[in-house]
Amino acid sequence: MTITAGVDVGTGAVKAALFEVNGDETKWLARQVLRVRQRDPLQLAEEAYDDCLAQAGLKRDDVAYVATTGEGETVPFHTGHFYSMTTHARGALYLDKQAQSVLDVGALHGRAILIDDRGKVLTYKMTSQCASGSGQFLENIARYLGIAQDEIGPLSRKADDPEKVSSICAVLAETDVINMVSRSISTENILKGIHLSMAGRLARLLKAIKAGDGVVMVTGGLAMDEGLVGALREELEGQKTTVEIRSHEDSIYAGAIGAALWGAFRYDKLAKLDALPMAS
Amino acid sequence: MSQAQAIIDRCQALYEDLNFTAAREWKDAEPGRKVVGYLPIYVPREIIHAGGMLPLGVVGGGDQLEVIHGDAYYQSYICRIPRSTIELGVSGRLDFVDGMLFPSICDVIRNLSGMWKLMFPEVYSRYFDVPQNYDDEIGGNYYTRELQELREGLEAHCGVKITDDSLRRSIAVYNENRKLIRAVYEFRARQPWKAPAGDVYLLVRAGLVLPVEEHSQLMTEWLAAAEAEDKPLRDNCRVVLTGLFCEQPPLNLIKSIELSGCYIVDDDLLLVTRWLIGDVSLDGEPLRNLAHAFLHQSESTAAKYEPNLEEKGQHLVRSVRKYGAEGVIFASPSFCDPALLDRPMLQHTLADENIPYIAFKYAENSGQMQPIREQAGTFADSIKLWSEQ
Repeated sequence: MTITAGVDVGTGAVKAALFEVNGDETKWLARQVLRVRQRDPLQLAEEAYDDCLAQAGLKRDDVAYVATTGEGETVPFHTGHFYSMTTHARGALYLDKQAQSVLDVGALHGRAILIDDRGKVLTYKMTSQCASGSGQFLENIARYLGIAQDEIGPLSRKADDPEKVSSICAVLAETDVINMVSRSISTENILKGIHLSMAGRLARLLKAIKAGDGVVMVTGGLAMDEGLVGALREELEGQKTTVEIRSHEDSIYAGAIGAALWGAFRYDKLAKLDALPMAS
Repeated sequence: MSQAQAIIDRCQALYEDLNFTAAREWKDAEPGRKVVGYLPIYVPREIIHAGGMLPLGVVGGGDQLEVIHGDAYYQSYICRIPRSTIELGVSGRLDFVDGMLFPSICDVIRNLSGMWKLMFPEVYSRYFDVPQNYDDEIGGNYYTRELQELREGLEAHCGVKITDDSLRRSIAVYNENRKLIRAVYEFRARQPWKAPAGDVYLLVRAGLVLPVEEHSQLMTEWLAAAEAEDKPLRDNCRVVLTGLFCEQPPLNLIKSIELSGCYIVDDDLLLVTRWLIGDVSLDGEPLRNLAHAFLHQSESTAAKYEPNLEEKGQHLVRSVRKYGAEGVIFASPSFCDPALLDRPMLQHTLADENIPYIAFKYAENSGQMQPIREQAGTFADSIKLWSEQ
């Protein structure tokens, strides 16, 4: 039995997950998510990790491997670090065993990842530097429109005549939104328009990795945005693909879950190589 | 702050100082002192030192120098180090330098030596050629004569006398310096968590601007301090970093590779400091001994002719085996002919040995590290999770 932790330091939130792994059996012991909101992410990482330990009634010494991911390379208590693509791939597979590809949509970028049945990354494609396909952009627009983040999805679902915005450039997209507001386009239609634009961009990423007709698991902070997930399904239906978009209530933890599970995998591998001091 | 960190902070200040204040102060401390600059990869600094002069490593302008004039001298498909070196020259940052040596690396640096002669006629500028024949009677004789010409050129221009005895003393001083650098590298390979690659780079790079005796002292102190420190061991993979022997990468690139989960256990950065692998003999003729060391005890790199095809890339394989590395990262400056033309041959050798590798390019002023982190991070993951080792 191995206890491992995954700490995913994202731009918008820090997520932690604690697991007990025994061969192929895994038990999710505890979880924590803390929004960054201009606080020190390293301090939040520590807080989230300690919260998880407290929930599970464990001490730091009980944990065999603490794996960080995202921007967590400098978290002082980590054993090893995994790149976020690697961890989202594994986390998605944990949340849905049928997942064949992953759409990780976070605060700063979107990324489509093709995986095998072990969670190994086969290929990937991500959005470029521009923030118009990202959660950060959506958050900014919500602020301009005076609505809370958790209202975005439900409002978008009520849209009846959405207008797409620029999917190329965040600055142009913001200008589009300002124009729409001045033309009295409803908030619902503006949000849906943004979601459709983002969905178009993400659908192109899925096409680029040849996601085929399998199950696509949406992870990252925007996985819980029902407006975006709905728009994505619409976009893919419109393209006559048979890709199945799935989301999970714990999708936001995918990176942390993947980190913890890869940590256990790595710990086991080091044990077999008789190289455990590396992970102590 | 720990003693090791204080030493590295001092080295970082030297690294960031594009006016070479330390070398200027050394020159101003006594009348008649001379400073001789040199470009990568290798010059026999012992000859400069034996004349009582300060060898000064000039390895470009880095990511903090805005190149305003330098771009006018080169086409867009030329690497950045000659542009920023020209910039250092025309902006007066090297106005205290009495001589400049341009070693045999590539056509661009060779031509830069000619440009320097035209632009700064008062400076002793020399293209420093090296042999491509490793027979003592052929390449050895040729190189010994080259060294003698360099010795006489420096004596004439700088008004110094370089005797055989002073050369032997300088060789001994540099033997000691190289021994310490080898100790630093061995220490990093043994305990990389105590010797971050960025720190080791700064420490070694300080040797390009400080008097060699002071640099040796600095390394001795750092080694003792770093060894005594207690730093956490991470589950990183171990890699050899190669291709960076001329234009230097931004410090952030080195740090990014390590942050991404790779311990750098060997590299070919700043090769001048450890070009000669073993001690140079102190007996007999000193120039002959330097020539012998070049022919038979020097590092392998793209800019050094390798007559034996079977041997091509074997230095990387040996480095991987010796330091227990799990992969190789090729990082080369954009438009670096020696590094980029050699790369496929080296990769072929690694592939034959089942050693994983990745490759990317950089410029000394590269600012965007995300792609580097992505490549190095996924490389580290693939080694940690999927390698058979």
